[in-house]
Amino acid sequence: MENRQNRAHSIDMSNLNKGEKAANKEEKKTCFTVSDLNLYYGEKQALQSINLEIPEKSVTAFIGPSGCGKSTLLRCFNRMNDLVDSARVEGEILLEGEDIYAKTMNVADLRRRVGMVFQKPNPFPKSIYENVAYGLRIQGVNNRHVLDEVVEKSLKGAALWDEVKDRLQESALGMSGGQQQRLVIARAIAIEPEVILLDEPASALDPISTLKIEELINDLKSDYTILIVTHNMQQAARVSDHTAFMYMGDMVEFGATNQVFTNPSKQKTEDYITGRYG
Amino acid sequence: MNLETKKVLLAVDDPAMVRLRDRRMFKDGLVRRMMGVGGVGVVVAIMLIFFYLLYEVYPLLDSAEMERSSEYSLSIAPTDKTLDYLLDEQVELAFRYGDSGEILAFSLETGAVESRFNLPIPEGVSISSYTNSGVEGALAAVGLSDGSVIIFQPEFKVSFPNDVRKITAALSYPLGEAPIFISDNHAELKKLAFQSNEDGTTLVGWQGGEVLSLLRLEIEESMMDDELTLERYEAVVDQTLGNIDYLLLDEQQRNLYIANKKGVLHEYAVSDLDEIEGPDKTQLTVEGEQLTSLKFLTGYLSLLAGNDNGEVSQWFHARDEQGVSKLRRIRSFASENGEVTVIAVEHFRKGFVALGKKGELGLYHTTAQQELLIEKVAEGPLYHMVIAPRANALLLEGVNGKLQLWHVENEHPEVSWHSLWEEVWYESYDKPEHLWQSSSSSDDFEPKFSLTPLAFGTLKAAFYAMLVAVPIAILGAIYTAYFMAPRLRQVVKPTIEIMEALPTVILGFLAGLWLAPALEDNLAGVFSLLIILPVGILFFSWFWQRLPRKVQDLVAEGWQPLLIFPVVMFLGWLSFALSQPVEAVFFGGDIRNWLTNDMGIPFDQRNSIVVGVAMGFAVIPTIFSMTEDAVFSVPKHLTFGSLALGATPWQTMTKVVILTASPGIFSAVMIGFGRAVGETMIVLMATGNTPIMDFSIFQGMRTLAANIAVEMPEAEVASTHFRILFLAALVLFGFTFIFNTAAEVIRQRLRDKYSSL
Repeated sequence: MENRQNRAHSIDMSNLNKGEKAANKEEKKTCFTVSDLNLYYGEKQALQSINLEIPEKSVTAFIGPSGCGKSTLLRCFNRMNDLVDSARVEGEILLEGEDIYAKTMNVADLRRRVGMVFQKPNPFPKSIYENVAYGLRIQGVNNRHVLDEVVEKSLKGAALWDEVKDRLQESALGMSGGQQQRLVIARAIAIEPEVILLDEPASALDPISTLKIEELINDLKSDYTILIVTHNMQQAARVSDHTAFMYMGDMVEFGATNQVFTNPSKQKTEDYITGRYG
Repeated sequence: MNLETKKVLLAVDDPAMVRLRDRRMFKDGLVRRMMGVGGVGVVVAIMLIFFYLLYEVYPLLDSAEMERSSEYSLSIAPTDKTLDYLLDEQVELAFRYGDSGEILAFSLETGAVESRFNLPIPEGVSISSYTNSGVEGALAAVGLSDGSVIIFQPEFKVSFPNDVRKITAALSYPLGEAPIFISDNHAELKKLAFQSNEDGTTLVGWQGGEVLSLLRLEIEESMMDDELTLERYEAVVDQTLGNIDYLLLDEQQRNLYIANKKGVLHEYAVSDLDEIEGPDKTQLTVEGEQLTSLKFLTGYLSLLAGNDNGEVSQWFHARDEQGVSKLRRIRSFASENGEVTVIAVEHFRKGFVALGKKGELGLYHTTAQQELLIEKVAEGPLYHMVIAPRANALLLEGVNGKLQLWHVENEHPEVSWHSLWEEVWYESYDKPEHLWQSSSSSDDFEPKFSLTPLAFGTLKAAFYAMLVAVPIAILGAIYTAYFMAPRLRQVVKPTIEIMEALPTVILGFLAGLWLAPALEDNLAGVFSLLIILPVGILFFSWFWQRLPRKVQDLVAEGWQPLLIFPVVMFLGWLSFALSQPVEAVFFGGDIRNWLTNDMGIPFDQRNSIVVGVAMGFAVIPTIFSMTEDAVFSVPKHLTFGSLALGATPWQTMTKVVILTASPGIFSAVMIGFGRAVGETMIVLMATGNTPIMDFSIFQGMRTLAANIAVEMPEAEVASTHFRILFLAALVLFGFTFIFNTAAEVIRQRLRDKYSSL
């Protein structure tokens, strides 16, 4: 896996073709519109004039070397950067035409619509059932039947149901890392968000778990808009329809995945993909 | 390979390297051992404390023992019948009174007669009755066949010729050698009772028939000169009992008891000879039982009645439900020893020895309500048994006239599960109660060693302290860890931790000398504060939320607590300013009077509010600091995970953060509780140290720790009181040990369940 990451020419072309087909099937509506987004951590500028249009119900991957700002950008979409004291955002991000940084925007509501999965699996110290039901409970849903239904549907959606259906009341902390990460995804889709942000979801997992997550992403994109940050270019090539390459806080290139990987328009992109740096 | 030329970075076999490695290994091993020693040392130290406490307490659990040390006949065999014996404190010398008027002093070790005395009995007159003044005084009296009485005082004179203790016997007659006629009736005195104290001497005699003759002799100082004269006051009492078998007079010369074998007891109040009241009648036995022995327990408050079934019952005056004081059966001690022939009463403790007809004796203690020992001492009934003043020896006269000296090992008869933990019916109390009263000015006082009120007080004090501390500390800690601006947190946390370093003695005297009176004066203000403060703060928060965004933005996120300061000060001032009007409107001007008179709630200045506040103040830093750490160390990825699911910070805090921090919060509370239980100085100075069992917030308490601190300096080493204080320490140790262990077990469980990755 690690070896292949640095060899762009070994990328499986069939994956790319599939991605291309998906991207071209129909002209999709825009989910996020990012215009002139700047982000500062104190004095330091972490994102510089980002402009993007992310189509809905597709997978958009963000790649780039460490520290390029791809995770920071991802966190802008559900305003998790608000939790960093020194962070300051300029510019605007529209979610279906609505400015998410507007004063009238309810952050909790935004985050319900834009779910997020983190690099490290972070199940709560509760049962598997309660983890999945958590998002609904905080919305005030406590009806047992509704919860049962949603938990089952979400766990099935996260391809976890068959593995855990007999131990729903056991602690989520007893699961394997891969299971935990899928549980977290199930938890995210339980509240039926419009967008799911994945922040290097497979980087802490073994190859088999990674594969399962990737299959899951493929399954989910028919229903959700997925934004994924990844270090693994293989993964980006395999799962995404669109790829954004970032470098030093700049959006260097954004386009259909097969185009970015096979025929990048910027020299920097090609250098990165072919493994000259990163 | 050429070693000389090649530059070797790590020459493993180089002597210097070997030395370095050895030294490294040595350091590693040394530190490991030192840490091991330290760890084991802590455990050993705790075990040593535990075993030392146990070592001091253990004698309390020791059962009584007795063994026969010698058996002998007197060197001069007496020809008359024994009236009584008297032992000295050192168990070296004893008197024997014979019914011929001969008094022998003999060595208790060998039976060698050392002195002989003869009572000055007139010619042609014989001894018809005998009595002694009871357990403490050595005074004794004989009633004669001509109706007169001789009172005599046997004495043990201790001298130290050549620095060796020598005890010699002497006999004196405090009221003169001449027989005293008890009345004009010169008939034989069948029964006699008398008591003597500095106010005077009262003699009661029964010469057969339906009257009792009373004689009080008082020494009076003449007004004119210093001449002393003996005044006589006589009285007669009509008695309806018939044949009198037992005649007893208490030391205060107030109560006269007469009883017969059937167990009927008549009681007369004789403090004023001109107005004798009575009789009050009591039946001491049930149908078919015979009263075979009747004695005062030491202190003259209780009667011990032995019957022919081998049972000894204790009776004393207590009020019944209707408030009528009468002689009541308090407790009884059954035995299989057959008819009780003799009861011998310990001089300084509420214990006694009962001898049964089958030749077995039983050692009992009334307060502890326990049978300490049953010992077979003879094959048949014995009729003479005396106990040494220190209750460490018994002298028994066998059927064959041989004397048996028994040594008794019975250090702590007062202690039993019953006397330590259960409700005990103490002398002159109307019902069984839990009481702690360990000492008194008089020797024959009944010590009350119930640990229950102390354990109760300990838990009560801890409860009120926790009631104050837990909400404040935990809520404060959660706010500080979770919501407060980091820079403010850096100031707040160490400040509260410094509070912990405040010596508790300072908190204690502030609480006792300033807070308690201040609280008493502003009671209405304190209660107003309890309502006004939370309501006011909530109102202010609501008001602040309503302010325009621009105003709110003036205070940075997490710095809002500073706004509360003036609000709290204002609300505090307001509460105390309202104190007077509130009192006037609702409580008729004086809340204390209102509480005591209208509500019937007793108010104590050193009460639980004071303790709760002062000890709460001492416990807050502990709980705060640990809770803050626990909440603060909840991993950020859990918080973020919750927030990313659309939870508000409040939901995240209540549903995820507190849950994850719960093991830490739980141990914080338990450690705080442990501290409150063991705290000494604050409770010592602020509780009033009243060992009562009352959960009222307006009453004080006495805790185990404070009790040890107060009483240990004055407890006689190795006495029962001293050992019970150690027992209290052991109980305290047990309390904290159990709480800490339980807390640790629960904490581990919680951690397994809720700890994050």
